[in-house]
Amino acid sequence: MTKDFAVPPVVFPTGGSSGGANVQQRRFSAIPFQQPPPQSSSQIPFLSFNMGSAAASSATTAGPFGGTIASSSSFGGGGGGSPSFEDEEPLLDELGIHPDQIWKKTRSILNPFRINQTVHKDSDLSGPIFLYLALCLFQLLAGKIQFGVILGWIVVSSIFLYVVFNMLAGRNGNLNLHTCTSLVGYCLLPVVVLSAVSLFVPQGAGPVKYVLAGVFVLWSTRACSTLVVSLADGGEEHRGLIAYACFLIYTLFSLLVIF
Amino acid sequence: MYNNMGPQPGMPMHQGIPQPGMPMHPAIPQPSPFGNPFSGPGSGLIRSGLGAYGEKIFGSSSEYVQSNISRYFSDPQYYFQVNDQYVRNKLKIVLFPFLHRGHWTRISEPVGGRLSYKPPIYDINAPDLYIPLMAFGTYVVLAGLSLGLYGKFSPEALNWLFVKGMVGWFLQVMLLKISLLSLGSGEAPLLDIVAYAGYTFTGLCLAVLGKIIWGYSYYVLIPWTCLCTGVFLVKTMKPVLFAEARSYDSSRHHYLLIFVALAQFPLLIWLGNISVNWLF
Repeated sequence: MTKDFAVPPVVFPTGGSSGGANVQQRRFSAIPFQQPPPQSSSQIPFLSFNMGSAAASSATTAGPFGGTIASSSSFGGGGGGSPSFEDEEPLLDELGIHPDQIWKKTRSILNPFRINQTVHKDSDLSGPIFLYLALCLFQLLAGKIQFGVILGWIVVSSIFLYVVFNMLAGRNGNLNLHTCTSLVGYCLLPVVVLSAVSLFVPQGAGPVKYVLAGVFVLWSTRACSTLVVSLADGGEEHRGLIAYACFLIYTLFSLLVIF
Repeated sequence: MYNNMGPQPGMPMHQGIPQPGMPMHPAIPQPSPFGNPFSGPGSGLIRSGLGAYGEKIFGSSSEYVQSNISRYFSDPQYYFQVNDQYVRNKLKIVLFPFLHRGHWTRISEPVGGRLSYKPPIYDINAPDLYIPLMAFGTYVVLAGLSLGLYGKFSPEALNWLFVKGMVGWFLQVMLLKISLLSLGSGEAPLLDIVAYAGYTFTGLCLAVLGKIIWGYSYYVLIPWTCLCTGVFLVKTMKPVLFAEARSYDSSRHHYLLIFVALAQFPLLIWLGNISVNWLF
């Protein structure tokens, strides 16, 4: 004897592919949360559930596996309404990460003798985050867990460089903190290379490590001071003074690597 | 004796004056270019923050707050007007004060009715904040290096060294400030005293560098550094003390100056003793 259920059983809509005898359409009730207005396609499309049309649109794309995958994809993919999934911006663009720009900037620092300054004109922080993670990874391979230490030191040293540069440059100094952090982060690349290389230097070779560290620190310093002086006004006659500040910063990071 | 400017083509302020070496009387009173702390970088923050505070307390006029702040915390921009030559010459004076043949008084110029001192580029005796800041940073880095060479490096140890350096700087400032206060009104700007106190880190860096290169040189360099720092501080504080003193009591002045010089020895020995336990 069949019981009467309060909730009708779920029947997955199969569209026109099969007409079942006992197909009972589940009535999709009104969604309790607010639906965004259909004309705002710039809103987060993820939440714009519209069950009825979702079922209809997914039913057209569904194959013989029909309803299950279609309904789950309509739940997971969102954008069932007017802002559809294909119209969304790519994720990286939305986050502001441009991999080709990051690669260009990183490659410009790889050459220690000629640094292309125009490519660093617009600053971003995602490249420095990648380099920071790479440095932390190499330190982890060396057995040192220093995630917080390195992040804190990057922040402190970029504030230090910002203060020193703007004070030295005087009235027409216009380095801003975002650019400063971006430059300090990108010029950390030689230190990342140093930490990778020092994984392979044998344990007892002390002086070799110091000489190696010295070379990479000088590379870093040269890159950073050239970029800082060329990207912000007012620093030309204080190159040596700013270069010494950068030298201090990168020696500090190299201490983390070699000891 | 020290000509920091060198040949400068087209400097707008020197058209009527011959090359400024150590001029006794400037021929044309020059407007002090960066005397106002409320222009220049960071001034927006200062002006808006303090202005709002001042308006809240004093109604419409915020000049009262502004003038008070500039009395206690003079314009930091002044202390960063340096160039390479100034830095080199100043380091020579700080590390070898015996060899300085010129005089030790600062050159003052009348500006808008008040007497203000020339910025560091034009006057070798003016204090600056760049050298103390860099010397402090070098001290922390070198101390970390020496810790690492003994195998005891860790980031926490470096943080403790930073704290130790700050405490040492603070103690030095207190020493100078108390000797000023006990004699006169102590009207010298705070940043001046911070700058003078920070010059001790240059000699200290030399001593720590010597310790890294060859261990026994440390026992020669530390007394030398203490002596040099003592002489430098005495020679710089003498005109300041004599200018600020209300009553001319010569023996007290001299005892205080000797005390300042002698107090360098325990302070610098404590700062130079780099170990994991930061207190001693």
